[in-house]
Amino acid sequence: MSNLIASQKVMKHYLSALLTEDAEADAVVQEEQKKQQLNALLAQAVVSAPEEKKVEVKPPVVLPTAVATETDALATLKAKFAAAEQSQHLQQRDVPVAERLTLAPPNETPKPSIAAVSPVEKDYRQGKFQALFFDVAGLKVAVPLKELGGIHQIAKINSLIGKPDWFKGVMLYREQKINIVDTARWVMPEKYDEDFQQKLNYQYVIMLGNSNWGLCCETLVNTFVLEQDDVKWREAEGKRPWMAGLIKKHMCVLLDVDAMIDLLNRGLDISA
Amino acid sequence: MSDLTKQSAKKNAAADIVLQWVTFKLQEETYGINVMQVQEVLRYTEIAPVPGSPDYVLGIINLRGNVVTVIDTRSRFGLEPAEVTDNSRIVIIEAEKQVIGILVDSVAEVVYLKSSEIDTAPNVGTDESARFIQGVSNREGELLILVDLNKLLSDEEWDEITSI
Repeated sequence: MSNLIASQKVMKHYLSALLTEDAEADAVVQEEQKKQQLNALLAQAVVSAPEEKKVEVKPPVVLPTAVATETDALATLKAKFAAAEQSQHLQQRDVPVAERLTLAPPNETPKPSIAAVSPVEKDYRQGKFQALFFDVAGLKVAVPLKELGGIHQIAKINSLIGKPDWFKGVMLYREQKINIVDTARWVMPEKYDEDFQQKLNYQYVIMLGNSNWGLCCETLVNTFVLEQDDVKWREAEGKRPWMAGLIKKHMCVLLDVDAMIDLLNRGLDISA
Repeated sequence: MSDLTKQSAKKNAAADIVLQWVTFKLQEETYGINVMQVQEVLRYTEIAPVPGSPDYVLGIINLRGNVVTVIDTRSRFGLEPAEVTDNSRIVIIEAEKQVIGILVDSVAEVVYLKSSEIDTAPNVGTDESARFIQGVSNREGELLILVDLNKLLSDEEWDEITSI
């Protein structure tokens, strides 16, 4: 609808420009023609003694050409106008009524939506699946093995200025630049203080899928085979999108890797 | 090879231009600045503080009769202050048509980087200091963080510097 309004405005401007320019041009042309004819008339006039000769004054010449020009110009204008109007009508018809009538409120901003992959589409939502369990400051977290991009030992992390607190920095691994997440800080920002930080002993980086994001962890626990019933799957949309579910037996979180990557890419943490 | 292919190859080669970057260290991180903006590198010299100047201004130095304002780079980058050492340097740069000095922990070397070797930094964080980073590059196993000096200060801050 806004496109239609915009195109209507453009059309109005175009039409008004058409009318203004042509009318002005025609007026100038007519003026010139009149002048020329007047000059011609003056040149023809013969000056003589008033008593002896009668000055033949020819009656003012009717200007059929001027009138014809005016008529032509008007006709041209009208034709252009009609064509433009018709095209506008066509544009209007091209836009379905429903679309034209539907108007988004001007101040409404679209709510950011987390990349939603249907749970059914995920491999681990069918049958048995394996998950890697790792530990971060006493918190056990699991990630489906098929969504694990790799595990690296922590090496030198280059900090980047102006990044969120949970963004530890960039670690170079061969040709890859891995964005390192301080997992404890991301998951438990309220507990994270100086003492907490000092107790952390990150040793590994858990790569999320094919992304450049890596989660720090302290220890790797194990991999387990899980059944669908072993997990209490998250059902409430919008809440804790990074969590695929809760693993009942181990009482720990199973990560939704895609949702987590999306949150990280947007610079959001668990409080988002 | 057809003319079109030759032209395309030329364009590609031209696009991957090599730039020189002066590298310096701040808190164990290596940063790079475009060599064209670097006028000279000085050993640390006494900086005269200017009362009433912004907190990111360390003061002024006399450079062959010219007054040059020296910026506290650590402060601008949100880093903790550190003691001046024998390796500390003042890099005299030209940015936004002004000549200023930036105090760094040390100056390393001039490196050559192709534009294809420069990656964009991860686009997270809205902190104003994030705007300094022009890109990153993997240089012999070390991350080089490329800095856009023109964005070191805002327009208002550049104007403020002029009046010091």
